[in-house]
Amino acid sequence: MPEVRSEIWVIAEQHGGQVLPASLELLAKARELAAEPGWSLAAVLLGQGLQDLARELLTYGVDEVLLAQHELLTEWQTPAQVKALAQLAGEHKPQVILAGATASGVDLAPRLAARLKTGLSAHCVDLEFDDRGGLFAVVPGWGGSIMAKISCPTARPQMATVLPGVFAPAQAGEAKGQVIELAVDLSPDDLGYKVLEKVEVPPAQSALDGAEVVVAGGWGLGNEKDWQLLPELAQALGGAVGSTRPPVDEGWAQENQMIGTSGRSVSPKLYIGVALSGNAHHLVGIKNPGLMVGINKDPQAAIFDHCDLGLVGEAGEILPALLEELRD
Amino acid sequence: MKIVVCLKPVPDPKDWGKLKLDPETKTLVRTGVGTVINPLDKHALEAALVLRDELGGSVLVVSMAPPDAGPVLKEALAMGADEAYLLSDRAFAGSDTLGTAHVLASAIEALGGSDVILCGDETIDGGTAQVSAQVAEFLGLPNLMHVSHIQAQAEGPFVVHSQVEQGHLVVEIAPPLVLSVVKELNTPRYVTMMDILDAEEKPLVTWDNEQVCAGESCVGLADSPTQMADLFAPPKKKQAEMLPGTPREQARELAGRLRRLGFC
Amino acid sequence: MDFAFSDREELLRKSVREWAEQELPPRMEEMEETGEFPMDLMPAMGRMGFCGVITPKQYGGTEMGNLARILVLEELGTVCPAIPMAMQVHHMCTYALVTNGSEAQKEKYLPPLVKGETMGVVAVTDPSGGSDVAGMQTSAEKKGDTWILNGRKCFITNSHHSDIWVVIAKTGEGRKGLSAFIVEKDFPGAVLGRKEHKVGLRGANTGEMAFQDCEVPAENLLGEEGAGMGVALSDITNCGRPGMTAVGLGILNAVLKEAAKFANERTLYGKPIARLQSIQNHLAEIYQDRELARLAAYRVGWMLDQGMRVDTESALAKSFACEAAARSARKAIELHGSYGIMNEYAVQRLLRDAIVTIPAGGTAEIAKLVMSRAALAAAS
Repeated sequence: MPEVRSEIWVIAEQHGGQVLPASLELLAKARELAAEPGWSLAAVLLGQGLQDLARELLTYGVDEVLLAQHELLTEWQTPAQVKALAQLAGEHKPQVILAGATASGVDLAPRLAARLKTGLSAHCVDLEFDDRGGLFAVVPGWGGSIMAKISCPTARPQMATVLPGVFAPAQAGEAKGQVIELAVDLSPDDLGYKVLEKVEVPPAQSALDGAEVVVAGGWGLGNEKDWQLLPELAQALGGAVGSTRPPVDEGWAQENQMIGTSGRSVSPKLYIGVALSGNAHHLVGIKNPGLMVGINKDPQAAIFDHCDLGLVGEAGEILPALLEELRD
Repeated sequence: MKIVVCLKPVPDPKDWGKLKLDPETKTLVRTGVGTVINPLDKHALEAALVLRDELGGSVLVVSMAPPDAGPVLKEALAMGADEAYLLSDRAFAGSDTLGTAHVLASAIEALGGSDVILCGDETIDGGTAQVSAQVAEFLGLPNLMHVSHIQAQAEGPFVVHSQVEQGHLVVEIAPPLVLSVVKELNTPRYVTMMDILDAEEKPLVTWDNEQVCAGESCVGLADSPTQMADLFAPPKKKQAEMLPGTPREQARELAGRLRRLGFC
Repeated sequence: MDFAFSDREELLRKSVREWAEQELPPRMEEMEETGEFPMDLMPAMGRMGFCGVITPKQYGGTEMGNLARILVLEELGTVCPAIPMAMQVHHMCTYALVTNGSEAQKEKYLPPLVKGETMGVVAVTDPSGGSDVAGMQTSAEKKGDTWILNGRKCFITNSHHSDIWVVIAKTGEGRKGLSAFIVEKDFPGAVLGRKEHKVGLRGANTGEMAFQDCEVPAENLLGEEGAGMGVALSDITNCGRPGMTAVGLGILNAVLKEAAKFANERTLYGKPIARLQSIQNHLAEIYQDRELARLAAYRVGWMLDQGMRVDTESALAKSFACEAAARSARKAIELHGSYGIMNEYAVQRLLRDAIVTIPAGGTAEIAKLVMSRAALAAAS
């Protein structure tokens, strides 16, 4: 059995030979964690015919890439992934296993944790070590209004899934470390179900892509009529309209206008958030913004904790006034 | 077909503004906060009722919750479930997801197993989205998450749509199985007055640890692998400069600044 | 004494609220504009069981009782007060049939009402006045197997959406001079008159109906000949006033919610106006009115379910809740400042709605007349 040094494992989730951005983001954060003396970091890559990808992963600051290849891992199927990872973890006893809170990751991680009889912190937004190697995972609860710090004092490995988009992705650098090939034992019964088809719904083009000015609105606008002030403002500023989840549910905004966890990411030079509370699920989609402006009638709204400028008042009053002022 | 639905009572999201953190005890003060069925669990129950009405059988709901959660299970019975089991024991209190999943799985075994187990994809309070996969793991059943479509038949496998990034998988999966559902699957029915009256005739049973037979070490606060180390309000990232004055004055000031910064 | 609701009542309140919050808001703007009741909601409310809450199960009702009825109307009214206004009159029609109808009449007329296939009407008020029941001019004259009705009824809730009217008409003189009839919209000589344009509760249709030698078969006499006064008064006391109490209570809930929300959100001098004592006073008074209206309303529902008489209590509850709704809505408008009179804010509509509840089911003066009897009895 080859010797594996790494105590921190990041599951490098790949579909069709492409590693998801969420895994690269995790690698960056895990690199920080592994900077403490005595820790080393591995990316765990499962699939078939992935030698090149494994070597590529060596450029992302890992100490090892653990590569397990098997025909039954060619297409991602969670039950097989869980079985393979459980074997690897059972043999090599990592201290920490991290996975992206992706569609597959949130299925894989709890099953793996249950099989390893260990704890899992889900949908984390931050990770830190205490001085004894205990992992603390920061988890938002109740729509992000309260944060919980979760530890896993005795069971090992300590596991966490991390929301995509929380950390900046690792950048490719000089390759170092080594690829270690590990064997896993799988049979067709381990697949659990049969995937008949993958229906791809390509993400609709969105005016948000590359927008330098984003005017985003929330449920607080209250009705479709007031919502229509947003496109006017966006037009006046040469920008695009974004949305939180509720206006999409209400039918005021399109799915491809949603910014955040289950929507798009934007990096505008100017962001104006109107009548939205400013919860983590939305804000995670705003990367490296320039000027952030919040407009909300509630002076306590969380959005103001993330903005440079705040305006308190009804959107239905402020926006028409702002439009007039901009035209003058 | 025997269908089990796992339900969780959660603080009413409409009342989240009333949730307060007691900085001394690090516990959540829930005064004045109502309790509802976790919204996605209602979609799971609706799916179960549709399956039962199409294929025959019965729908059982199980919920691990404090003893006062009876009304929430009554609502599930009123929606149309046939039997409800409230799993309540001091030994369960403080269980994390692994412990919770273990209790639920044990209860389902004690009920003689199930052909279909349905859950909501995640709960709105904890939002861990772990329990369905872990129940499946403890029962040794296949599971799918993010289920947006179920095509079932009395004999043979189901065809299920499971959402993934940028699309969905069409999956053939045979019962017994565990599915956790998303809201796109269906629209939960309303509870009518007739339903409320009917529910009063249906069994609502409370089981303690002895009946659940969850004698394992991961159950309860002390034995759960994860522990809550701290609860805190999210840190303020920035302190926005608040523009003073009437809406008109604020708008004028903002317009001026945007103009000076070259945005228009 | 037990002030707790049962699990059944709590679940009922929750399920009505969920239905109302989902189904009613999308309709309210149109109701406000057109003054029309959205008739497609009737079968939906029939399926929910709202229409048959005080109708026995054998006719398709749920027979959940009077407290349940108040909860249903209150929850509907918290979202959209025009809905329970129409529904409570619908209930009055079912009540009149249940308490006075023959078996054949009940079997014929209750099921469509309970299913929400049509709306019920109780037509008491003549142009000559509503509270002066004895001074009524609409008359009925018996000719062979047919009653011939002549006259006019005005301010009748649900008039233009109903197929089944309970009509009070004069058949003689004195205390026994009134009788009740079940008139179908399509009976010869039954005519709909004008539709009214009210300031509030606009989504509840109100209008006139006229009888021009209207032929009503003898079997459609409701109750005994000469029992019409009793039919009308028991309906108003046991159903109409408790129902209007619940409408007022719904408005009070909405007023309190709007006022509290605005007070928390609106800032003056850099802090929410909820921290200003004058605003707190307004809120406390609205809250007090709402809580007392609740006590009065639930007591009436409970007493009715115990089979007790509620002559005084329902007059008290009705006049208190409706007056409280109007005065609280006005306070909420003051609390809103200029926003309060803008169309975008609900409080102006709530005041208009509240004002319309005041004459319905007997004015405050009539209520005082009823209560004064109980007050004077305190001497002994």
